Amino acid sequence: MSRQPRASGYFRTGYAQDLKLVQTRAERASLALLGAVLLAFPFLASPFLLDLANQVFLASIGALALMLLTGYAGQISLGHAGLMAAGAFTVGILFRETQAPFWITLPAAAAVGAVLGVVFGLPSLRLRGLYLAVSTLALHFLVVYLGGEYEAKRGFSTGILIDPPVLAGMAITSGHAWYGILGTAAVATLLLCLNLLRSGTGRAWAAVRANETVAAALGIGVAGHKLLAFVISSALTALAGALFAYHRGFVSVEAFSLFLSIQYVAMIIIGGMGSLLGAILGAVFVTLFPYGIEVALRALPGAQRYAGTLFAVNYAAFGFVMILFLVLEPLGLVGIWRRVQTYFLLWPFKHRPLAGRRR
Amino acid sequence: MQLAVNITVLAAIYALIACGYVLVYRVSRVLNLAHGELMMLGAYLLLMTATQFSSHWLAALTAAVLLSLSTGVLVYVFLMRKMTGEMVLAAVLTTVALGILLRGAMVLIWSAQQFYPAQPLQIANVAIALPGGARISLCAALLVLTTALVYGALLTFLRFGRWGVRMRAAGQNPLLAAQRGINLHAIYALAWGLSTLTGALAGMLIALDAGLNQTMAIIGLKAFPAALVGGLDSLAGALAGALIVAAAEILLINYVDPLLSEVVPFLVLIAMLIVRPWGLFGTREELDRV
Amino acid sequence: MSTLLLCVDKLEVVYQRAITAVQGITLSAREGQIVGVLGTNGAGKSTLLRAISGFHGIDDARVTEGSIVFKGRRIENSEPHAIAQTGIVLVPERDKVFPNLTVAENLAVPVAPKLAGSERRRRETQVMQFFPKLGALRNRTAGLLSGGERQMLAIATALVCRVELLLVDELSLGLAPVVVDDLMARLMQIKRELGITIVLVEQSAAVALAVADYSYVLENGRIVLDGDKARLASHADIQEFYLGNANGGQRRSYRDVKQYRRSRRWYG
Ligand SMILES: Nc1ncnc2c1ncn2[C@@H]1O[C@H](COP(=O)(O)OP(=O)(O)O)[C@@H](O)[C@H]1O
Ligand SMILES: [Mg+2]
Repeated sequence: MSRQPRASGYFRTGYAQDLKLVQTRAERASLALLGAVLLAFPFLASPFLLDLANQVFLASIGALALMLLTGYAGQISLGHAGLMAAGAFTVGILFRETQAPFWITLPAAAAVGAVLGVVFGLPSLRLRGLYLAVSTLALHFLVVYLGGEYEAKRGFSTGILIDPPVLAGMAITSGHAWYGILGTAAVATLLLCLNLLRSGTGRAWAAVRANETVAAALGIGVAGHKLLAFVISSALTALAGALFAYHRGFVSVEAFSLFLSIQYVAMIIIGGMGSLLGAILGAVFVTLFPYGIEVALRALPGAQRYAGTLFAVNYAAFGFVMILFLVLEPLGLVGIWRRVQTYFLLWPFKHRPLAGRRR
Repeated sequence: MQLAVNITVLAAIYALIACGYVLVYRVSRVLNLAHGELMMLGAYLLLMTATQFSSHWLAALTAAVLLSLSTGVLVYVFLMRKMTGEMVLAAVLTTVALGILLRGAMVLIWSAQQFYPAQPLQIANVAIALPGGARISLCAALLVLTTALVYGALLTFLRFGRWGVRMRAAGQNPLLAAQRGINLHAIYALAWGLSTLTGALAGMLIALDAGLNQTMAIIGLKAFPAALVGGLDSLAGALAGALIVAAAEILLINYVDPLLSEVVPFLVLIAMLIVRPWGLFGTREELDRV
Repeated sequence: MSTLLLCVDKLEVVYQRAITAVQGITLSAREGQIVGVLGTNGAGKSTLLRAISGFHGIDDARVTEGSIVFKGRRIENSEPHAIAQTGIVLVPERDKVFPNLTVAENLAVPVAPKLAGSERRRRETQVMQFFPKLGALRNRTAGLLSGGERQMLAIATALVCRVELLLVDELSLGLAPVVVDDLMARLMQIKRELGITIVLVEQSAAVALAVADYSYVLENGRIVLDGDKARLASHADIQEFYLGNANGGQRRSYRDVKQYRRSRRWYG
């Protein structure tokens, strides 16, 4: 991972230092503060806020998985909702047909995701960019169709009901319990991603993303690493889908429309391509967005008449915000953050100095 | 026989929509995923003009067509122009966002109910008997005719004269094309305008034939595999692709499972991507360029 | 003296709103001149030519200071197609032809608004006479041409525009010396017959100094030396760093060169 200078007077003098996750004292302190806030949150927040936090955690897992694939390995996917659906349906079907407990269904969902990852990833060996995006889009429709077929054939036309998972004899239903589980899952995903990215695999992905031919010339197995990216990302996504199914207690194809795929893509764009922090910021933004719109509508006078078509307002506003980010700030929220940082780092200068004068 | 007529009509629909994808892709390598929504907007524009110019169906249609043309140009000028030179993927995602925005806006303006623009225009959508016992509705016949005319005009325009070559050049290397004196903004705006116009025409004719509600955009998305199967940068290919996709869809719905309707185009798409990803008539080098 | 065609004054170009590539470049070209621009990799030669021929959205580059005046009109930060139509045409360093189009189609691409159809055809035949080889390759896909043929096609396409000022970026890049000599000879012939002005960017000083009437040396985004043919060719630093024959043609070992490089100073 390329890193910007973090603080004045701090120079890295070895590779080990370059790889450390937490580098300066200020970073350690802010991280501890963040941890404390996250731990204290469930005891202070209302059930509604707690539910929002749980949704953010779920979205973060999916967004991190997509960021791994698109932002780091450079493979575009518009089929994210299909993979989520695959995870959710694995749970639903296993639960309905065999009453399997969660410690079977979750690994099964991950396994299904991994297998689908190979399927989604195979086109990437031949296709790039737009064509790859289109192939994942087509696969999304296929997976959702299969899920719909299952619902129709088995008579669950309104969706599959799932009982809450039972852990140590207790059914997990409360928001607090879910907060613990989903929060742990999200943090674990983040750590997994961080570690993957600072390993050889992560660097190989970066090389593949930058230039496949050069990567191959450097001795990197391009095909293998592309598939690996798809497999890891898809397994994580399916897992997120499975958790989503348990959290909602209900699986239905309607939840996995193309719009969901777009929302995930929007998360990594709005957050900022090629940054894990971006994935999380994007997940927060996109998850909270509809609630923000609702609040805004309630505050605006004369907006009451749109209350019945809230989803349409939401759609339109979401499209608009996505456009704003794409056009005005392609680097996303993280880009804004970095620019502020750079401004202070370079101050009182505006530009980096003339090229070639670095000696 | 009826099956053949159904296939022809569906193929005409797909072909008329698909040429919009091809036009925009050819000049800018951007896949316009808002095409379905723009097409639906065209249909709603007809609904609007139909109430304005009721009984003058030609005036209503002309006004709606002109409005769609300007919509396309405006979309370019105010949105896609900002994306010239950006990564292709960013531009594609911008069209996705535009699609969402349009969809929301259209629900807000026209609600989700079903409309029949043919009614205010007093167009009687009579069924015409064809030899062999098949029947085709007037509007569907009109649609097939329009598709033929549009393709005839576009193919002539691109085959003769230098602008067909220049459109391809702009798609391949926009910077060099600009350095050779091609006004990229003009050529892009033209492509967006024409693409929206043809898509909107398809939308209007479908609305006249079968009515109009918020699900129409799905037809637009289903026409996209037709464009890719034929080769995204080939107009003739879009025609062939539309025929293949339409035939597959009608036959599978008829003989296998009606639920398949939504996925068949995408199944054909996957098959094509495996066998010949650059499409029937597409340029092979295109693949490496994206 | 002939009239001033192009006048670049104190030009500064910034990439991505952050990276300054060239600064304070002042340069001029008179009608009918060949102006050479010399410099090593990354000196900012291409940036200079790109600034003259116009940046495009993807470059994310801007002329932030100074001016470019062509035939009395300021053109900095104009759209490339508008600049091309005023008569400035660039033969870029890379991606100089449309690889998926045939040779004939490549020649059909340039837009020359003030040329009527017959005039344009006359012009195409004339251009083909400079490069007879291209005639035989008319229906070949440009991506399959050799480097020399590609360079020929690029120059030919440039000429089909109404060119008055031809900007050539590294004509010699990746070509064998014989091919370079051949291309150079043709370029001189074209210049004589069409009466155009040429700005020739080169890394190879031998190539540039042989033909240029006046040359500029660019280093690290600044002009460090300029002068006419006689002055530059006899300048000690040019002899040493660009032509590689210091001490009256006697070659030195690389070790000495390196040591000397560290302490070199440009002076006018
Ligand atoms: N697109 C770009 N973005 C950022 N910096 C660039 C870009 N193009 C060139 N540069 C920088 O500008 C400087 C000059 O480059 P260039 O003009 O290509 O040099 P030359 O053609 O003389 O080899 C280099 O330091 C290079 O890193
Ligand atoms: Mg250069």
